[in-house]
Amino acid sequence: MRKTLVVVATNCTGCRRCEMWCSMKHKKVINTERSAIHVLRREPSIDTPLVCLQCGNCLGACPKDAIQRNKKTGAIEIKLDLCTGCGFCLTACPYGLITMDKVDKHAIKCDLCGGDPECVKHCKEDAILYLDLERAASYRREEAAKFQQKKVRDTY
Amino acid sequence: MDYYGYIGKILRVNLSTKEIRVEDLDEISINLVLGCSGYAAKMLIEELEPGIDPLSSANKIIFATGPLTGTLCPSGGSYELCFKSPLTKSWCQSRSGGSFGPKIKKAGFDFIIIEGKSEKPVYLWIRNEVVEIHDAFHLWGRNVETSTNIILKEIDAPDASVAVIGVAGENMVKFACVINDRGRAAGRGGGGAILGSKNLKAIAVNGSMDIRVHNPEKFMEVITKAETALSKYPFESINQFGTPLLVNILNTNGCLPTKYFNYSTFTDAEEISGEKLTEKYLIKRRACFGCSMGCGRYSEVDEGKWATPPQEGPEYETIAMFGALCLNNDLESIIRSNYLCNNYGMDTISTGSVIAFLMECYEKGILSKQQVDNLDLSWGNSNVIVDLVHKIARREGIGNLLAEGTAHTAEQLGPEAQKIALHVKGMELPAHEPRGESKTLGLQYAVSPRGACHMHPNWASTWDSGNFESGLTEFGMPWPPADKFAEEGHKKGIAYRLVILHGEISEILGCCIFHSWGGKDECLTPQLYGEILRSLTGLNKSNEQLLLAAERSWTIKKCFNVREGFSRKDDRLPLLMFKPLKDGPAKNECIKNLEAMLDEYYEAFGWNKISGIPEVESLRKLDLEFLSEKIPLVE
Repeated sequence: MRKTLVVVATNCTGCRRCEMWCSMKHKKVINTERSAIHVLRREPSIDTPLVCLQCGNCLGACPKDAIQRNKKTGAIEIKLDLCTGCGFCLTACPYGLITMDKVDKHAIKCDLCGGDPECVKHCKEDAILYLDLERAASYRREEAAKFQQKKVRDTY
Repeated sequence: MDYYGYIGKILRVNLSTKEIRVEDLDEISINLVLGCSGYAAKMLIEELEPGIDPLSSANKIIFATGPLTGTLCPSGGSYELCFKSPLTKSWCQSRSGGSFGPKIKKAGFDFIIIEGKSEKPVYLWIRNEVVEIHDAFHLWGRNVETSTNIILKEIDAPDASVAVIGVAGENMVKFACVINDRGRAAGRGGGGAILGSKNLKAIAVNGSMDIRVHNPEKFMEVITKAETALSKYPFESINQFGTPLLVNILNTNGCLPTKYFNYSTFTDAEEISGEKLTEKYLIKRRACFGCSMGCGRYSEVDEGKWATPPQEGPEYETIAMFGALCLNNDLESIIRSNYLCNNYGMDTISTGSVIAFLMECYEKGILSKQQVDNLDLSWGNSNVIVDLVHKIARREGIGNLLAEGTAHTAEQLGPEAQKIALHVKGMELPAHEPRGESKTLGLQYAVSPRGACHMHPNWASTWDSGNFESGLTEFGMPWPPADKFAEEGHKKGIAYRLVILHGEISEILGCCIFHSWGGKDECLTPQLYGEILRSLTGLNKSNEQLLLAAERSWTIKKCFNVREGFSRKDDRLPLLMFKPLKDGPAKNECIKNLEAMLDEYYEAFGWNKISGIPEVESLRKLDLEFLSEKIPLVE
């Protein structure tokens, strides 16, 4: 069964090793700015990984058809030989999770490492999980419910 | 030269002339000492005149990173602040975590050197090799958090990292520190006072530059090996409870300094323990950049007299200093004190210690109530402890005297106070009781270049008290370790030399020392550091050469002090350390023969036993002949 990434933000300590592993794997350098996963630290008390959910919103945005779905992993991948770095996919992504690589001049986006994501393998805190689709979906529903609950608590 | 791991550039900012210069890394220095504090020590001994006033424009301060800083090495979130200390007049380096060090490299530099003195308050904004000097008049007098927020807004870069001084640094409190990322401190020795003396309020850094890797496949393999080793790390509960986990451990073992080192156990230790902190006040754990351990605390007191907004810490040292050392069992007041110290930019160890010293003097009748602004200095009075934090940072009343540090305060109060003052070379003792914990630690307090220190360059007790081999037997570490209470005749000099070199390795590579203890496959050993260094940088350094570089670094720091007039006569311990402990499992223990331990230590390094100064021959062996022109040598 296919899998997908799930974030457990409360587990994140903000160490940013996932970003470094991502840039190491894909670019062979250490650079958190050239990673497809993003960890934000905001005060007070927020550390959270943000990952592409492979929703496919960017699929139609590419004028060169460089963005294609990998049928095996379900990942939306950017074919680097076709990508011209025009940035239309950045416009299309509602989550801000496609970025532009200023060195190689093409878009950076999560490709699930071909089905074996480095960020998950190296997260000691279990803040990023790679789960079967049904378990992931169930987890996300629970999180959404908790989020609503928190909103109610904050209001009253 | 093409650098991997390193960036290859040094940024030099002269605040007097406003000249900004970018220099290449010096290959000879890299070859000798690799980087970070070792490289900075070499620069400072070459560039500073001996005998300068640390708070004058002649002093320089260096923000130093190493080749492993900001990389996947699991402890590489560090920078070292290196300078001549206003507190000790000696060599000083202070390590800090957070993300400031890694950001220096991402901004395009390995080192930032600050020289001269600005006429008006300024701050620096550095990103991707662009350096700007900004006016900081509007920030002067503001605390760390507010200044950080204002700067981040002005430069419009929420991901930037800011190192800043607070009011204590502006007022040149001798133990003022530099705080980066709001709550991580380059704590000891008064680096904040130096920035204050230079009218430099802050440095903001950000960047998106690559750290290049020489052999990516090998590097990923070695890092995975390091991660596996650290999954067996012996202090696993440090993740859960952070450094405050030591409160209960040290208390049980009779080495928790209590009532200004008069006792070694604290009846209320449970009240101020890491377990209690985690249960009642911890919001979450926070890691420094790239750290797989994540020992950082992030806590708040949400209501009551000591209500405190979310903040990094408190760490073990802070809790022990403001807690047991002052007989204070009110953890909320400690969290408050930690918050205030962070916001004023003040070393919590020295601050807590100088307050406890004042209480001790007061109890002994050395000070009258009028002399201390009519404060009730009874042991454990948390109101007064918090009051004194404000007074020291603002230099109000008695705080103005305490702001000069324990040694100077004692000098002003007379010989009775000097007898009970606890410092080495002017640096206040941290919260590890050497009489109960490890005699090697006592030796370290005496000889560490920056004065009494439990962490520079390593946690000295790791061998005889901790029983950690840490990969060192391969280099001749005596095994099994000697008894922790034993002194001379147990190869402690040889063992301690290796403990130092292991610590110094992480310091010259730009790493935190916390991953360095354990069995040989449970921590970052010199061997593992060597593998990481080679695959990352391509430098062809054997493990032995890595140890040699560490020894050079340690020797240069020693020579820096020799040049300032330090010798064996300064490698001392306070009188109290020679008196038997009154309580706990280590009752009746004391330092019996420091002189013999010093002999063993100097001998292990090949230094002259009479003067405690490196001999020409030992410098020659280390390819450090150039130092012989700089220091008075014993032929």
